[in-house]
Amino acid sequence: MTPYALIYTAVLLGLFVLAGGSYGGFYSVGKLWTNAAFIRTGIACYLVAILLALAICLFTPLAALWKIFIVLSCLIYAAIPPVTWRYLAKLHRTPEESK
Amino acid sequence: MYRSQKLAVRYFVAAVALFGVMIIAGLLSALYYLHPSLLFDVFNFNMAKIFHIDTLVIWLLMGFMGAVYWFLPQELGREVEGIWLAEILFYVFCAAVAVVSVVFIFVQYGGSNEFSLWFINQGRKYVEAPRWAAVGIVVVVLTFVYNVVATCIKARRMTGILWVLVLDLIPLTLLYLDAFPALTNMSTDLYWWWWLVHMWVEGTWEVLIGCIMAWALMDVMGTSRRIVETWLYIEVMLVLGTGILGLGHHYFWIGTPQYWLSIGGFFSALEPLPLLGMVVHAIYDAGAHHMKTNNRPAFYWILAEAFGNFIGAGMFGFMMTLPQINLFSHGTQWTVSHGHFAFWGAYGCGVIAILYIAKQKISGVNFLDGRAWKWGFGLLNFGLIGMVGGLLIAGIAQAFYERAIGGSTLMAFMAGQENPWFVSGMYARMGFGLIFAAGYVVLVYDLLSAGKHAPKSAVKTQAP
Amino acid sequence: MDIQDPGFWRAGAISTTAVMLVVLAILTIDSLQDIRAGGSHVPKYDVINQQIGYQYDWTRRMDVPVIGGQQLLFGKLYTEAEAHALMRKGKLVIQSRACMDCHTFFGNGAYYAPDLTKAWLDPAWQQIWMPMTAAKTREDAMVMFLMHPDRYPTWGREMPNLHLDESEAQAVVAYLKWMSAVDTNGFPANFGQTQSQQ
Ligand code: HEC
Ligand code: HEM
Ligand code: HEM
Ligand SMILES: [Fe+2]
Repeated sequence: MTPYALIYTAVLLGLFVLAGGSYGGFYSVGKLWTNAAFIRTGIACYLVAILLALAICLFTPLAALWKIFIVLSCLIYAAIPPVTWRYLAKLHRTPEESK
Repeated sequence: MYRSQKLAVRYFVAAVALFGVMIIAGLLSALYYLHPSLLFDVFNFNMAKIFHIDTLVIWLLMGFMGAVYWFLPQELGREVEGIWLAEILFYVFCAAVAVVSVVFIFVQYGGSNEFSLWFINQGRKYVEAPRWAAVGIVVVVLTFVYNVVATCIKARRMTGILWVLVLDLIPLTLLYLDAFPALTNMSTDLYWWWWLVHMWVEGTWEVLIGCIMAWALMDVMGTSRRIVETWLYIEVMLVLGTGILGLGHHYFWIGTPQYWLSIGGFFSALEPLPLLGMVVHAIYDAGAHHMKTNNRPAFYWILAEAFGNFIGAGMFGFMMTLPQINLFSHGTQWTVSHGHFAFWGAYGCGVIAILYIAKQKISGVNFLDGRAWKWGFGLLNFGLIGMVGGLLIAGIAQAFYERAIGGSTLMAFMAGQENPWFVSGMYARMGFGLIFAAGYVVLVYDLLSAGKHAPKSAVKTQAP
Repeated sequence: MDIQDPGFWRAGAISTTAVMLVVLAILTIDSLQDIRAGGSHVPKYDVINQQIGYQYDWTRRMDVPVIGGQQLLFGKLYTEAEAHALMRKGKLVIQSRACMDCHTFFGNGAYYAPDLTKAWLDPAWQQIWMPMTAAKTREDAMVMFLMHPDRYPTWGREMPNLHLDESEAQAVVAYLKWMSAVDTNGFPANFGQTQSQQ
């Protein structure tokens, strides 16, 4: 790893998680306020996360297995907010809640 | 109020006081980087830093214990068993902290013998306190565990949260025994030492704050028990599922076998995922209860905890957790940047939320809000973010110039420390640290006064 | 399987944790074997009688310690027991003076002062401190520095005098020599080699 590769690899990794997190944040707030603009911003963040994952795969000197790992976790990021949201909604809808 | 809750308040007061000591010690430690001749040979950097990180551990521990003493009687609807013992031990605890402080200030270090380790300084990061004091902490924590377990038994009742709490306190206490050994072999020494540090902050503490936050959510947002408990189990599963083997990210370079590079990298890189789930959960909860809360400061500190945990631990941790990066970032200001953000996000914010919950109950107001807490919230978080930003820049510069280009020798170290990017990062930490300290002052002011002016009975719940 | 049932997740939490703990226990047993003095990654303490280097290994693709022929420390050949006693003392000095709250060992500790993992191999001893202390050997220069760091500073940030006597300083030097022979999976990288590209 060259000194420069070190910096941009780390920065890409950090931004990748940040983009994944922003997607989750915007998506949830959009759901909460049923605001399509927020959800769209969230999805845009997720697209950025995909681009960052691609950039990590193409430009960084990480070993191939780590790159596969990044791609897989990028896919998992897609699922976390909607799955968590739907699950929470379900959990809240059960009868006990209204007691 | 239960006696146990009165004890909790005492713990909170002690915690906030030590939080203040920690900030002063932190500012002092930061100042040595700018003025290396400061207090040279009188009170060196290492002693200031010991104060900083040891008080950090103690104030958070006191905050957690206070939180449990606060919620436990509420949870079981009865006074805590053996509370008199806990009351005595609180003073013992404080006295021990005071004695250790005096020794750290005036004696500082001893000769190369067991006596030093028992009575002066153990010289192991985070657990520098001499062994007698560590024994004392074990006794205090064991009493605390006894209080919790005995109360559950007396009440003949166990809730899900209590099961998790009790099962978590066992490893939490056992791991602390790791504070004692002084193994000759540095590799084995660090191997066990990391069980203490990592398994506390990324395992047992994370579960403990999960239990406390579950109670806080029921209290502040009125979330139902079934929901918080289900969520707590999921959280425990994910956090421990990734965090236990995530321990491997500290076993890359201490002489341990090469397989840790893959295991540690893999599991710790998964750690941000559950933290993202928690962010979604926090937003959901805020909405499900229509952001109706009768305690605005606690509500915002709970939200800050979820975001801070994700960004500080998740994002800042992920940046440097893959071995190829960590080879260069390991043990630089980059680590410090992550350490501050993660500790603050995951634990600092959580404890402050609990302080506000207690504050509301004590002052007997139905609705807690005001102006000062917003300033405290803003200054503390702004100061912290600025600080970790400065440290991140300094850390990247250090990894780049000292490690990657320079090859980590003394000369390379100096080149890194004198690099303008690094130096600006150090000034930024100092400046933002002062802002953080100002936030602390406002926080203390607000905790002492909030609620007094609010109408005592008006039931007001409003959306922000 | 009812994912709304808390019991389902309770079982999940318990079983996941249990599996992880079992894996950790197995790995720990294996690792402790490798990191004991004389294990595959950590040399015996009497390695201080030998020459130690640090070189890039093309098969492992990382820097690894190279143990060479005999190179006595303080002109003395230590038996394994003597070396062990010396290390014990060195470690006690390091703990009692809280060196780790300024320095790092294997990158763990504080970041106010340089990492000591490979301090034994630091070119600064030959280039700076041997001339400065007028010592004949690296280890003598190290002892003199450790006993009076305030007399031999190299830059604005100095190391304070922690009142090490001669035997304590020697024990620390031995400890640092042993530590530099530990296989740390390549940390720190390119030690002592300034690199501009790759
Ligand atoms: C107050 C902080 C502090 C403490 C405590 C401290 N050191 Fe240092 N140490 C430094 C500084 C600063 C330097 C750089 C000194 C210089 O270049 O003049 C240094 C340099 C060194 C060096 C030379 C490093 C190299 O790579 O060439 C060694 C070896 C060393 N210290 C060992 C120790 C030992 C052993 C202890 C504990 C007994 C210790 N230090 C405690 C601050 C400290
Ligand atoms: C609540 C959660 C966390 C807290 C409080 C925390 C705190 C810390 C602290 C204080 C350190 C410095 C330890 C020392 O050397 O003394 C550290 C190191 C480290 N943390 Fe975390 N952390 C958390 C979560 C995470 C997560 C989720 C990751 C990974 C994604 C992570 C990755 C790392 C790594 C790789 C190091 C080693 C840095 C180095 O090599 O110097 N941490 N952490
Ligand atoms: C005024 C604010 C603060 C200042 C100026 C400050 C400064 C410092 C300094 C100088 C160090 C030593 C780093 C080194 O070894 O070089 C340090 C370490 C540390 N501080 Fe702070 N600190 C502050 C607030 C905090 C807060 C609020 C927390 C946690 C909630 C915290 C947690 C830590 C931790 C965990 C370490 C050890 C990190 C590591 O070694 O990686 N600090 N701090
Ligand atoms: Fe960790």
